[in-house]
Amino acid sequence: MADKNKGGISKQALLLSALALVLLVLVIVFFTGGGGEKVKRFVETNVPQEPVAPAGKAAARTVTLFFVDEDDLLHKETREIPAGPAASDEAARALAELVRGSEEGFSSPLPPGTRVRQVFVTKDGVATVDFSREIVENFSYGSTAELAAVYAVVDTLVSNFPAVKRVVLLVEGAERETLGGHVDLSRAFLPDYSLVAK
Amino acid sequence: MHSLAAAALALAVLAPAATAQERPLRTVVIDPGHGGLETGAKGRFGNLEKDITLAISLKLKALIEKDMGFEVVLTRDRDVDVSIENRAATANNHKAGLFISIHANGSVQRKAAGSETFFLSLNATDEDTRRLAYLENNSNELQSRIDPSSSDDLMMILWDMAQNAYIKQSSRLADLVQGELDAMLGTRNRGVKQAPFRVLTGVACPAILVETAFISNPDEEQKLASDDFQNKVAEAIYRGLGVFLKGKG
Repeated sequence: MADKNKGGISKQALLLSALALVLLVLVIVFFTGGGGEKVKRFVETNVPQEPVAPAGKAAARTVTLFFVDEDDLLHKETREIPAGPAASDEAARALAELVRGSEEGFSSPLPPGTRVRQVFVTKDGVATVDFSREIVENFSYGSTAELAAVYAVVDTLVSNFPAVKRVVLLVEGAERETLGGHVDLSRAFLPDYSLVAK
Repeated sequence: MHSLAAAALALAVLAPAATAQERPLRTVVIDPGHGGLETGAKGRFGNLEKDITLAISLKLKALIEKDMGFEVVLTRDRDVDVSIENRAATANNHKAGLFISIHANGSVQRKAAGSETFFLSLNATDEDTRRLAYLENNSNELQSRIDPSSSDDLMMILWDMAQNAYIKQSSRLADLVQGELDAMLGTRNRGVKQAPFRVLTGVACPAILVETAFISNPDEEQKLASDDFQNKVAEAIYRGLGVFLKGKG
């Protein structure tokens, strides 16, 4: 009997410690899971926002975007984007709209899936645009397509933002020789409106 | 900025004291665009820019060697990756008198069509313009006086811009080649244009980039893949070179 009792007690103790262990695991999962959520939310706030129509009282501004028309020239299209706070924020939104595409049936000069990771504008007027890898991986550029991609970006930024005089293109945070083997990315670009339809 | 340093130093070592303008033309460098993993533009029927450019380049090489008697060096003679700086270095190391880069074009618009010839444009800032003025005034010195061991940043930058000393000749070569393409190909004449193409910036001789036709246009893709059209492109460029060389006297 005593042995049986002992055995019963130890079974109870075992059960209790098992329960405690399950609780401990639950607590750990709860906290780390919560932490994970926080990290995820933090990351999301750093990803360029999906373009949204200016809601309610939010200030909007009009930008001119450059798409590729049937004559293979850059065609101007105006669009409203949320305004501010900084020129770099508006610039990132304008470029996201460029990727999103034309509302008038023209072609986007940038490959689908391309994201604007960051836009940085210095006081001396150089805008540095950092694109995601899709800008090089999702298209096989010919010279004409590559020139259109580069100058649609450069012309969009310089023509809409007086603070921007020249533009540098990066991919995934790094300098690149070219997007697809043609146009030299090592120097800052001045705008070239010769590709724009009259 | 220093990516062409190797090419520059190689040229500095090999270049004779004579200026580029006086140097007799012996070598033509032909650059078949792209290669290896870098396919260039793709056609709807699966043709790749890198294969078309190599085929045309080989035909052009044969024409020049047969009738002009110049040495022709290709930046690649098979399907391999070649870095952009090595393409310029091939021209400079062989003391090339002419550099012709052959490409097939691609656009996001399927209808885009035609042939065009490019020479270099520089996105000239004020600083670049000053350097350019220096280069134009000192291009003779550049080839004879650079100390190969020099790590002078200005010299490196100047070599990185070597093509700028040859812009006028490159412009003339582009005009002549484009004229022949227009006469022979029956494609839309998109004219002569300037663009900041990486492969041209470090080349220390007259240099052009020929966009033969659009591989992204299904009609032109089929032309580009045909032996007949490739022969015509090679012949047109060959004729353009001939007129250019005659004019040089």
